[in-house]
Amino acid sequence: MSRLDGPVAFRARGFAARDIPAASVATLVGLVLLWQAAASLGWMSTTFLSDPAAIGRGLWQLARSGELWANLSVSLQRLAIGWTVGTMAGLAVGLAIGLFTVARSPGMAVVAALFPIPKIALVPLFIIWFGIGEGSKLVTLGFGVFFPTIINTVAGIDGVPRALIRMGQAFNLPWRSIVLKIVLPGALPSILAGFRITTSTAIILLVAAEMIGAEKGIGAFVLQAGNLYDIDNLLAGLVVLSLLGLAVSWGLGRLERALLAWR
Amino acid sequence: MTASAIRLTARGIGHAYRDLVVLEGIDLDAAPGEVTVLVGPSGCGKSTLLGILGGLLAPTQGEVRLDGELAPDCLNSVTTVFQDASLLPWRSVAKNVSLVLEDSPLPRAERAARVAEVLAQTGLADFAGAWPRQLSGGMRQRLGIARALAVRPAVLLMDEPLSALDAQSRALLLDDFAALIAGAGVTCVYVTHHLAEAVRLGHTIVVLSRRPGRIRAVLRIDRPIEGRHAEEPALVAMQARLWALIRDDAARAEREIADV
Amino acid sequence: MQIGRRAALALPASAVLAGRPRRAGAGETVRLGLLHTLSPAPFYLAQEHGLWTGEGIGVEFRFFEAALPIAAAAVAGDIDVGVTALTGGFFSLAGKGALQVIGGGLHEQKGVELTAFLVSRQAHAAGLTDISKMPGHSFGLTQYGSSFHYMMGWLAQARGFDIRSVTLRPLQTTGNMAAAVRSGQVDASMAIASVARPLIASGEVKRLGWVGDEVPYQITALFTTRAMIAGRADALRRFCRGYQAGVAEYREAFFHPGSVGGRATESAIAAIEKYVFTSDPDAAAKIREGVGWYDEGAALDTADVRAQLAWFTAQNMVKGPIDAAAIIDTAFLPTR
Repeated sequence: MSRLDGPVAFRARGFAARDIPAASVATLVGLVLLWQAAASLGWMSTTFLSDPAAIGRGLWQLARSGELWANLSVSLQRLAIGWTVGTMAGLAVGLAIGLFTVARSPGMAVVAALFPIPKIALVPLFIIWFGIGEGSKLVTLGFGVFFPTIINTVAGIDGVPRALIRMGQAFNLPWRSIVLKIVLPGALPSILAGFRITTSTAIILLVAAEMIGAEKGIGAFVLQAGNLYDIDNLLAGLVVLSLLGLAVSWGLGRLERALLAWR
Repeated sequence: MTASAIRLTARGIGHAYRDLVVLEGIDLDAAPGEVTVLVGPSGCGKSTLLGILGGLLAPTQGEVRLDGELAPDCLNSVTTVFQDASLLPWRSVAKNVSLVLEDSPLPRAERAARVAEVLAQTGLADFAGAWPRQLSGGMRQRLGIARALAVRPAVLLMDEPLSALDAQSRALLLDDFAALIAGAGVTCVYVTHHLAEAVRLGHTIVVLSRRPGRIRAVLRIDRPIEGRHAEEPALVAMQARLWALIRDDAARAEREIADV
Repeated sequence: MQIGRRAALALPASAVLAGRPRRAGAGETVRLGLLHTLSPAPFYLAQEHGLWTGEGIGVEFRFFEAALPIAAAAVAGDIDVGVTALTGGFFSLAGKGALQVIGGGLHEQKGVELTAFLVSRQAHAAGLTDISKMPGHSFGLTQYGSSFHYMMGWLAQARGFDIRSVTLRPLQTTGNMAAAVRSGQVDASMAIASVARPLIASGEVKRLGWVGDEVPYQITALFTTRAMIAGRADALRRFCRGYQAGVAEYREAFFHPGSVGGRATESAIAAIEKYVFTSDPDAAAKIREGVGWYDEGAALDTADVRAQLAWFTAQNMVKGPIDAAAIIDTAFLPTR
């Protein structure tokens, strides 16, 4: 037997990762500053990787000449339409799979078969089917958004506690009310989490969609800059895509806070 | 408030999950305006029976019937209150109540009045705008019963509404529930494994046996619910009788692995 | 301690190698980046007929799918010389100081039918019957800054309209370009003779002209890296001599009035067949139809290189100013 004599040490440390919003901003700013410092102090060559100041100047010139907006507005329109159509279709199919036995197994089989297909590889086919105009670009975006939306919608519906649906049935609520007031709000957190994935997917696919036949668009602009080895503009275009992603992410965060205040 | 004139009768109810017979030959009469309590060892099929009575489970045998004159203000003849209250976390307290009125033909003002009334009855008037996550366990159960009372049910089925609460909250809420049920004059079937609740609330106490659940005994307490105290000698004696009926089954059930 | 012994043996050997003045260039291997098409045919001849071996060097072919990666590979040090179209991307990379144009390649030449200007049947029926009517129509090309972009730009200049009045449709590949003009998804595009002729013959597209007749220019050029010029100039010289010999054989086989169709032609086709149209029964005909012009001695048209650079700069596709003299080195091959 050993004698004990002393305080009980605190042992429940860790396993409690917290968000520090200021740290995320500071990290991004810090990385940019480090990059700039490395370039300014000559630690790295700027021949094939421009420094932030050069990219900023490039962006400023693009903005002033109106070229930025000319490209961005076209891309934003494509993103908005492609994402909305893909999301609506995905929600409808996801809802059907989540609610109806008839749709469930066949639907999930098709989703499992088609989801892993790289949408970029389908671009040539989409061009034959939908032309080199807006059609093939919107379909590329919509298709990329469609499947993750289905999967998140189904997961959300499956995650709605059965007890809540039974409660609705116990009060004899009509089917429509159970879907609209219990199933959909219950699935909303998962659907909104899916939006984070699908908006990023759409931005990634934008470049693929604008590879063929696009005169304007941020994706086309980035590709063009790459073809011309215009490194300032290439990076400026990527910065715009990144900022677009950040803006969408911020917007979704606000939307989540507004819609999911009850959590 | 006039007492419900609806009688709930179950005849020859049997229920099986595949080969496992849970209920067998249950005949039950819930008299209008009275409280019928179902007690029994865990796994005796109390909750299954309540689900069948509420139309939430299809029995493999038998039939449940309602008879009597339905009050004109009743929106949902048979209404169940669940053990976990089953609140919608994305709706405020008031909206959780109004949920069950929104599909009714009631005018908007009438709906608001009913919501206010049941919240006042259950002591939740000050929390109308709160989210369910902000409520204590006791308040969540009050909200559950408030929502049920809002549809003016003819038959109220309650599935262990107090079992998730700590002993102190349970004691406080039991008296409130007794008053609410008596005040509403509703035909009530109440499932519990707490014998103190059974003797405090029941006019009729039905004791179920262990699986397959059959009716082992039916006891009567011919006294109004108001004015009863769980500690009074007559009710304590009744509790002892119930315990004697259940004890062996409960001991056996306790040594069993699976519950249904 | 096998490794240790090997290292011990290797050390004096390498010391000897480093100490001895290298016998200029001989025995070295030069890595050449090129497209797997008919256009670098003289290089195939030089390889197959041992013209580089005769110069005492080995040449290793590195094939690429597109022009720009060849220039990028040279910058990255994966190849020593390359032959490619002078695109906007090429000039941008060269302008950063890594690449030097040293010799000529394929030319669009008057009378040599190399690249056809094609319009879709629908567009032709709707009145697009002449290149000067292009304003308001769409033109399919691979990418912005490609040689097709440049050719369209010069056609516009020659016919006196603004290229900005033409809707440019980047389609990434020449295959897509042909498909798009066939199906009418673009009004006009370009294709090399071997692709264009069957389409024209079947009536699927209409030809409005040959680029060589309209705006002759130097399509491809030979380039190398500054490091190669600085460190291995002799090997480079040997490489260029072998290349010139290849060009001489090529011209004799396909453009010399006295010898075309003779033994030289047959031997050249046999060599080229090993690289393109392999196992195609019509290979010989396709090669004869598809060959383009190479200047005598692989001469570099420096004036044309300057003109191209000026055009890309004026179009704002190359961020200037880039001094043409700084990216051209005429010490290795003649000029036109």
